[in-house]
Amino acid sequence: MNVAAEQGAPRTVRPQFMADEPLLRLNSVGKRFPGVIALQNVSFDVRAGEVHAICGENGAGKSTLMKIVSGQYRPDEGEIFLDGREHHFASTLEAQAAGIAIIHQELNLIPHLSIAENIFLAREPTRGFFIDRARLAADSQMALDRIGLALKPRTLVGSLSVAQQQMIEIAKALSLNARLLIMDEPTSSLTESETVHLFRIIKELRKAGVGIVYISHRLDELAEIADRVTVLRDGRTISTDDFAATTIEQVVAHMVGRDLDDVFPERKSQPTNEVLLSVSGLTRREVFGPVSFELRRGEILGFAGLMGAGRTEVARAVFGADPVDAGEVQLKGERLSIRSPIDAIRNGIAYLSEDRKGNGLALQMTVAKNITLANVEAVSGTGGFIRFEDEAKVARRYVDALGIRTPSVNQITRNLSGGNQQKVVISKWLFRESKILFFDEPTRGIDVGAKYAIYELMDRLAAQGIGVVLISSELPEIMGMTDRVAVFHEGQIAGVLETRKTNQEEIMHYASGRIAHA
Amino acid sequence: MLEMTTDTAHADRARARERRKDLIQKFAALGSLVMLVVVFSATSNAFMSLGNGMTVALQVTSIAYLGLGATCVIITGGIDLSVGSVLALSGVVAALLVKAGVPVPIGMLGGVIMGAICGAFNGLFVTRMGLPPFIATLGMMLVARGVALQITGARPVSGLGDSFAELGNGALFRIVRMGSDGFPDIVFPGIPYPVIIMVVLAVLVAIMLSRTSLGRHIYAVGSNAEAARLSGVNVNRVKLFTYVLSGALAGLTGCVLMSRLVTAQPNEGVMYELDAIASAVIGGTSLMGGVGTISGTAIGAFVIGILRNGLNMNGVSSFIQQIIIGLVILGTVWIDQIRNRR
Repeated sequence: MNVAAEQGAPRTVRPQFMADEPLLRLNSVGKRFPGVIALQNVSFDVRAGEVHAICGENGAGKSTLMKIVSGQYRPDEGEIFLDGREHHFASTLEAQAAGIAIIHQELNLIPHLSIAENIFLAREPTRGFFIDRARLAADSQMALDRIGLALKPRTLVGSLSVAQQQMIEIAKALSLNARLLIMDEPTSSLTESETVHLFRIIKELRKAGVGIVYISHRLDELAEIADRVTVLRDGRTISTDDFAATTIEQVVAHMVGRDLDDVFPERKSQPTNEVLLSVSGLTRREVFGPVSFELRRGEILGFAGLMGAGRTEVARAVFGADPVDAGEVQLKGERLSIRSPIDAIRNGIAYLSEDRKGNGLALQMTVAKNITLANVEAVSGTGGFIRFEDEAKVARRYVDALGIRTPSVNQITRNLSGGNQQKVVISKWLFRESKILFFDEPTRGIDVGAKYAIYELMDRLAAQGIGVVLISSELPEIMGMTDRVAVFHEGQIAGVLETRKTNQEEIMHYASGRIAHA
Repeated sequence: MLEMTTDTAHADRARARERRKDLIQKFAALGSLVMLVVVFSATSNAFMSLGNGMTVALQVTSIAYLGLGATCVIITGGIDLSVGSVLALSGVVAALLVKAGVPVPIGMLGGVIMGAICGAFNGLFVTRMGLPPFIATLGMMLVARGVALQITGARPVSGLGDSFAELGNGALFRIVRMGSDGFPDIVFPGIPYPVIIMVVLAVLVAIMLSRTSLGRHIYAVGSNAEAARLSGVNVNRVKLFTYVLSGALAGLTGCVLMSRLVTAQPNEGVMYELDAIASAVIGGTSLMGGVGTISGTAIGAFVIGILRNGLNMNGVSSFIQQIIIGLVILGTVWIDQIRNRR
């Protein structure tokens, strides 16, 4: 399939014949790395006052493209025009001076400094040798006011939520007089209400004439803010469309290069009535509780709720990663005493962290070593000597079964894509023969194709009689994959709903505390 | 599919790059080792001889013992600054035990156990009390040295007898023939016991690190302690083990050193911890944890040992020696940084 790059005509805002040059225009940009063509003949443009979404699977070339626009990389071919003038950015500083700012997925703020100090880092207003504190405070207050953020400039950044920190990054970019703002997965760690706030700010920026490049895996949210969408695949522009003139299905089809009739696989597993895990009165003071729920054999139970409602905390507590103050956990009717992950793992309970790189993988270690990490004993002989052939065989079995894309089991996991890393973590727990799996945001930051594979895998696990808990902030995922859903609100379960008999609106009502304990 | 082929091609290249990096690192250290040998052979006639080879090997042993422990500790992301003091305390304890009438092997075992106890305290400070390894072992460095000085009144312990000297000065396969002139003629100086112990220990620790589940856990803890904990690795126990190992090896070092001198010096081993850390770092062990090998550390220990020996033979003053060794450490770690940045 080769859809020609189409310069989508804006339907309402500006007729095409108007001579105004777009804010940013890329003309057949190419970038090669030794042996790989990362980008080839990529053209697209961003107008002042529009939100231009860039979509593509992992490895499609989005980050390379953004690094070129923001001056981190120099293109091998093609031109970059800003306001109709050709630019060659030698560094991010030059791009910044020209009015281009990028907000990375990993935020670049210094937690030990205040909001004001972060916004004006390395360009503090000074009087002689000293920082002009009064001006620093006044200027940063202005920057905060501009995006309507009710925070004190002297607050330490480390004490802010991720969403607030992101807002600070935006304020910082605007204080640099950015006219083009690149946002890389800005909502990946935001709650629904925080996302709403972010979108409001984006819309105001758009009104003020800022051009915004918006990169996201969450396609459903694009409908809310994107004016146009450009799809990249294999380092090429596949299409550029007015968002109003296309559909999500079409965008996905362009992304994967094939039609994906559904985002979620058909559920083949059937929940049983046999209770596998029963949690009652689990409490951790000032964090959550009392929380009680049951998980059945072969069931996928969803944990829905706003960020900070206690979903992850409850899962971690059941897994023994964090201490609890009260409550009981029973496995098949037998009371468990779980004091550490070691106890939980011994009883067949596994927890896949939402923070894959921070808590899930030893990135410097190979695929094989990560897969056997929780169960090295199973491939070791007497005296703890590892049988390397057995280990490689085990690793290859999971690489094949889960379709992990890696040249060999001896590859360092750092070099794998997000989806494949996630599959390595899942393999680790499958090899441990876990009976209960907590998946915490398993598809965050993973591309569409890999998501589907993970969903299929969850269904297959449930069909084998494993109890699965799916913690997710994406309601469509909860709706598409679970049998029942426990909705959390402020550290408690506000209600447990049959997924088939509920809808996203009802779940949101429970999550926001408008309905309690039905 | 284009994506597939570039994917695997990319991965292949990444793998080749890793391998090359590994080789460069190994060869950077090994290459400088070979270069040192060549240069010193050219500048000094006495350098390239069996006798001097054994001397170097013997001199390297204490750095190597400590380096083995340091490597394990550093791989977990820790550091052990106390080994120089712990070896002094252990040697003194062993000597005092022998003085008190305990048989030499038992006395020395006591010294090693003393070292292991100090290591256990280090480990408990780090795991149970949550102290940063730098602080915990800095404290132990002062405490152990103080105890060693206190129990000896800061005086060397001497008059330990010939059997106490055996471990440090004996050799295996020593061949002595009666010469025609009636004097004994040393055909082969033999392999000193400390050298044999060094080889055996290096092989054992290398096997432990690379082939056993314990070793795997040591790397996992250093690579990502939280991931290891959530995978059911007993992180505290693994850390504790490395500190106990480091302490026990320091204890052994103390016994061997004191035996060579046939005197227990409470002031022995000052700054040895830095040699140990340097040998690990020159050999490619990352202070960030998760990376390091025993073969690298062995090369690092020999780089330091040969530098000292060769510079001595060339009559270079000990002050200049310090400068050169300092520069070598800076240079190798700098190369390591460049390598990692690529």
